[in-house]
Amino acid sequence: MNSAHVLHRMVQADFLERARRYSFLLTLAGALYLGYGVATEKVWVVIGNGYRGVYNSAWIGAVMAVCCSTFLSLVGFYVVKNSVQCDTETRVGQILAATPMRKSFYAVAKMVSNFAVLASMVIVLMLAAVAMQLLHAEIKQVSIWKLWAPFLLIALPAMAITAALAVLFEMLPLLNGGVGNVVYFFVWTLGLAGSIQLGATEPTGIQLLFRSTRSALLKIDPNNKDSFSLTIGGTRAVRTFLWNGFDWTAPIVLSRVMWMYVAVGIALLASLFFHRFDPASELWRKKKRAELVIAPANGEMPQRPSTGSRSVQTAQLTPLAATRNSRFLQLVLCELRLMLKGQRWWWYAGAAGLLIGTLVSPSADAREGCLIAAWFWPILIWSQMGAREARYATQSLIFSSPRALPRQLPAIWMAGVLVAALAGAGAGVRLLMSDDWHGLLGWIAGALFIPSLALALGVWSGRSKAFEALYTVWWYIGPLHHTAGWDFMGTTPASSSSMAYILAAAALLATAYIGRRVRLGYA
Amino acid sequence: MQLLIDNVSKRYGANTWALQRFSLELRPGVLGLLGPNGAGKTTLMSILATITRATEGRVTWNGADLATNPDALRTVLGYLPQDFGVYPNLNAVEFLEYLAAVKGLDAASARRRIDELLDLVNLTDVRTRPLGGYSGGMKQRVGIAQALLNDPQLLIVDEPTAGLDPEERVRFRNLLSELSGERIVILSTHIVSDVEATATDIALISKGTLVAHASPEELLRQVEGRVWEWTIPSTELIAAKQKYLISSTTRRSDGVHARVLTSDAPPRAVPALPNLEDAYLYCLSTHRTGAAA
Repeated sequence: MNSAHVLHRMVQADFLERARRYSFLLTLAGALYLGYGVATEKVWVVIGNGYRGVYNSAWIGAVMAVCCSTFLSLVGFYVVKNSVQCDTETRVGQILAATPMRKSFYAVAKMVSNFAVLASMVIVLMLAAVAMQLLHAEIKQVSIWKLWAPFLLIALPAMAITAALAVLFEMLPLLNGGVGNVVYFFVWTLGLAGSIQLGATEPTGIQLLFRSTRSALLKIDPNNKDSFSLTIGGTRAVRTFLWNGFDWTAPIVLSRVMWMYVAVGIALLASLFFHRFDPASELWRKKKRAELVIAPANGEMPQRPSTGSRSVQTAQLTPLAATRNSRFLQLVLCELRLMLKGQRWWWYAGAAGLLIGTLVSPSADAREGCLIAAWFWPILIWSQMGAREARYATQSLIFSSPRALPRQLPAIWMAGVLVAALAGAGAGVRLLMSDDWHGLLGWIAGALFIPSLALALGVWSGRSKAFEALYTVWWYIGPLHHTAGWDFMGTTPASSSSMAYILAAAALLATAYIGRRVRLGYA
Repeated sequence: MQLLIDNVSKRYGANTWALQRFSLELRPGVLGLLGPNGAGKTTLMSILATITRATEGRVTWNGADLATNPDALRTVLGYLPQDFGVYPNLNAVEFLEYLAAVKGLDAASARRRIDELLDLVNLTDVRTRPLGGYSGGMKQRVGIAQALLNDPQLLIVDEPTAGLDPEERVRFRNLLSELSGERIVILSTHIVSDVEATATDIALISKGTLVAHASPEELLRQVEGRVWEWTIPSTELIAAKQKYLISSTTRRSDGVHARVLTSDAPPRAVPALPNLEDAYLYCLSTHRTGAAA
């Protein structure tokens, strides 16, 4: 069987598996809404002295393609970063590992299948762009090449890079889990900022659009300043200019195609770190963590010698007391232990350092900075809330227990709130000591909101990734950059949304309850 | 103590019926639930364990309807699912303590119970090691321990011996027999020898319907006089398989010794004592023939 045929079958299977998931449809819906936002000026580009292009095929195509390459490269990463994990969980990987398939081939195949998923979204957006122009544009005459060329030459190469980075993150031992989900956001942010240095060859196409439109603008407004912003909710453009699209010269086309090769290169690089589903790589990590004695060839742990009489030993079980109480607090402590068990020493050292920082820092700004960091530190603990049962397949053990819904779910939430309270305890104590009731209300809102968000997303998505991605973005925009209304920790003085976040926490908790209720056959 | 399954059906999607009008009344003892892959055993187990709801019909525990009062059963239920996971960072004691808390047991009596259970399933020596390093058989034994945590009156075990070595399998069979005195045990499996060793009653299920519900003796009586041992040259085996229902074959120096299930004895065949595997295959074959007709 030739490689092309194998590649085709692998990509097809992977694509169908993921295109049939709700996350794909949700992302597609989000991408379509983004496209609709571009055409209806909910998302817009402002250039120079308040200019935007007239809504024709060239402008709609270019802006939609740039939106794709920026926003979809973030969200799309989280959608496709699961193909290797899927092969591991389904154990299909072990079957593949026993075939002559090379690691490099597997990595490239995964990159191509990731690309197929993302490209399918781009193709849907291309079709939507035609409808958007016909319905909303200022010039309704459609030029297919001008409308679609930016998708093909800007968005698709950016999707290839995203697809390859997802493979790299999955194959790098430290980045294949929740850490990678968090790290990618910062890589993406830094990548967007750093892409300016690359000039017109950068992967998102923003610079290409900027340079092309600037040339057109200088012809009508020689005093035009050098600025470009892709905006959702920022300052609107006050004047328009006619832009007739990119001049797709050979060097520009080659520079875009080059990113496809870079993507393949990243996938090949990823293959160097690929464990080829060798269980020893996982066991090695566990051994490091717990100093296990790993089983000999048959996989069994050393046991004491069995005797004939022992093998037929009768069941000697003490009868349980007749009365059973709810023991809710005991369950909360067990959930808390479950959350904290397995963390490494450096995690506790970091948490303790931030706790001390919030408690003893003389400067209010330093205390605030420590709190912001302290409530980011346990992100991978919170992200397991509500998703742990699905991840470790313990649902049937837990959900067949009495009052599983009204006891266990609130116990998880309480444990999550305790983690937040412990991590931010230093700040809480300082606020209490200084009678800063407004600040304390913000602190309470944060301590309630974070675990509620984690639990709701965990229950509904069944995965930790949704919270890891959304919380990172929210934390970055809100608390870290003090965006009013987005700061759920109440560290932004202008923000007075603590009560709103407390109410949101209650709503999210109810959402989590409903989500779990929907998934259970019984209450 | 009574578990009543009354005309229970379960539909997945628009028109895939995993169970159809399944009825059974259970009292203390071990019920062996036997059936081929995809017969509906795991679906039935999930309904009885209050994991999923029946599409039609009802299940009652001592008269309480599970649809409206699932906790009536859950407080006395021990459930070992076919596929389950463990939390890899917890050790066996911590995992069982966690599930004891979920089941609402108090810490002191749970601790004593956990010690006994770990001894019973032969995991005392590795009790403090994280579960992530356990083998499949060891995880299965943790699963058996958790099913017994709350001293269940109804114990449902779905393919419990999968992954166990022969010694542990014998231990588990004995355990089931001992536990069955004052409780209902439902043992779902396709390993006939497990049922043979423990079951006081057997239910045969195929394509979502109940094929037979009888004691092992009654099932064996159905095939009395229909089991033959037939020695044939190996070259004739394919033809023999096409003509007769053969439950097993053994190659010997004088040819192939085949166990044949038929009313009319093949030439030179000698009568053989029926076993449960013969009865199981005969019932399924008769059911399929009847269904086809």
